[in-house]
Amino acid sequence: MNTFRWWRGILLAFFLLAIIRVFLPLPFSNEIIIFSIYVMGCSFLLGRVGFISFGQPAYLATGAYATAFYLFYFGANPFIGILIGVVAGLVMSLIVGPLFVRLRSDYFALVNLALAVIFYYTMQKVLAPITQGDNGLWFLANMTSTPIIDITRPKEFFTFAFLAALAIWALFKYLNDTLYGACALASKVNEDKVQFLGYSNFKIRFFGFIVANVTTAFAGSLYAIYLGFVSPEITSAHRCADPVVVTILGGVGTLYGPLVGAIAFTGMKDLIAGLIGNWELFIGFLLVFIMLAGEKGIWGSLEPQLKKVFSGKRV
Amino acid sequence: MSTNLGAEIIKTVGVTKRFGELVAVNKVDYLLHENEVAGIIGANGSGKTTFFNLVTGYFPPDEGTVYYKGEDITGTPPEQRVAMGMMRTFQLTSTFDNLAVIDNLVLSYFRAYQKHSLFHLFTNTCKKHRKNEKIQAIVETFELQDVADREVRHLGLGEKRRLEIAMAILAEPKVLLLDEPLAGLAENEIKAVLSVLRRHIGTQTILIVEHKISHVEDFLQRLTVMHEGRVIADGGYEECLRDPEVRRSYWQIDVSEDGVEEACS
Ligand SMILES: Nc1ncnc2c1ncn2[C@@H]1O[C@H](COP(=O)(O)OP(=O)(O)O)[C@@H](O)[C@H]1O
Ligand SMILES: [Mg+2]
Repeated sequence: MNTFRWWRGILLAFFLLAIIRVFLPLPFSNEIIIFSIYVMGCSFLLGRVGFISFGQPAYLATGAYATAFYLFYFGANPFIGILIGVVAGLVMSLIVGPLFVRLRSDYFALVNLALAVIFYYTMQKVLAPITQGDNGLWFLANMTSTPIIDITRPKEFFTFAFLAALAIWALFKYLNDTLYGACALASKVNEDKVQFLGYSNFKIRFFGFIVANVTTAFAGSLYAIYLGFVSPEITSAHRCADPVVVTILGGVGTLYGPLVGAIAFTGMKDLIAGLIGNWELFIGFLLVFIMLAGEKGIWGSLEPQLKKVFSGKRV
Repeated sequence: MSTNLGAEIIKTVGVTKRFGELVAVNKVDYLLHENEVAGIIGANGSGKTTFFNLVTGYFPPDEGTVYYKGEDITGTPPEQRVAMGMMRTFQLTSTFDNLAVIDNLVLSYFRAYQKHSLFHLFTNTCKKHRKNEKIQAIVETFELQDVADREVRHLGLGEKRRLEIAMAILAEPKVLLLDEPLAGLAENEIKAVLSVLRRHIGTQTILIVEHKISHVEDFLQRLTVMHEGRVIADGGYEECLRDPEVRRSYWQIDVSEDGVEEACS
């Protein structure tokens, strides 16, 4: 652990993203950045707090729709839109969190899925007069340029999202080192002992739930700004497993997993799809392989090798 | 028995716990005084662990009341009982296997000595507390130096057992409840653990469930014998084991020439 200090990790992450940005098209880079933020929330929930959720699109959509409502009906500043998306994610977590985090992990997975389904139909049908149903809300033209960094332009959006991703990554890195991080891991494997040591499992999980899903809502807001429109598609049921899949693809409980997984996933989706089609089939087989090979994921398998290289050369 | 008993600290009145047909703990009245060092023995399945679970709040009793310092705590959740000063260990060693040994101790230390709201959990790193004197002292006492940075899942049973007891003792609870703390320990480890516990006599209330009573005979001030969910004897060590009912019903106790040797399952 000490041999692979965290600033090296950040440098590596920077490096990876910079490479992506230089060699690959901008939309691809932007998608990866947003997607990795999305997955970071899910990965924290799964790897640290021990909760698997098949309903992350619900929180993604919470952020996206809140941002979209604001930009479509009320205002024009995308930053305020993001802020509103994040606050909506917080409110959503505060409402459903106390109910959900009391559940056993398997029920937790399903209740979130149910929430995503509810959200989908609410946006598609129930609130159709406001959300314009399947057509979605289009507000790209509504947004005004912002000073300093104009996130309505893809290039500068990338810079903003990139910095945001790093900040979130650093936050999770910090969280892992805190007593909270230790409590969360503890609660994941032995909730009885946590209680009899005098901590509250509920508080630990609730807090983790909030952190994870506010992050997810933030990713949703970024999607909204970047695409300039939001439709119910964002929370459709067949996208529900994506973040979990990518978390596992990248390696559960590793900090770089979400990034590596997002690159691999988006890469396969965008690049391989053009070559062989059926990219999801490909990912399916890859997942089976990864889990049979020891659940470590891409990053989990790479990390020990990299550590060897790094510790051999620098320490 | 010790001459001057402190105020009562734990009291149960008629606590009963059933598992289906089975009455695991049957109308047990029990009184523990401050700074007493007491033991509970009984054959496997006589209800000792279940009684511990009732006292510490692992589950509520079907009937009866549990008091802590005169206050009814029957429905109080475990973490609040810990805050009141109760701490237990588990018969099947219970630690955080995915954390380093030292961080297991840090978690126990932090709860006991620092403000530990979510905010404080968030603003403190583990690293900051690992070198704390109290933690380092307990690491030494329990000879965990060599494994301190290792994840608990790589530890042997004896080391894990020592760690769990260390976590409990580190927190300096008012009442320490140990469920078969010596099981799985080597002879020298047992001696070491008992000598640590001895240092706490007079300042802490200690309640031990132990199988091998020979280990704790010169240590306990008081003994309670359980049989099929009931308390069948309670008092001084010698008198308890001479009690005819204990001898009759608790047939597992071998009586050799040099007195009571062992209670085995
Ligand atoms: N959670 C449980 N569910 C069902 N039966 C239990 C449970 N816990 C204990 N028992 C039963 O209650 C009785 C007392 O068990 P226990 O308190 O563990 O005894 P001891 O600690 O003295 O060995 C045993 O017959 C045991 O099988
Ligand atoms: Mg037992």
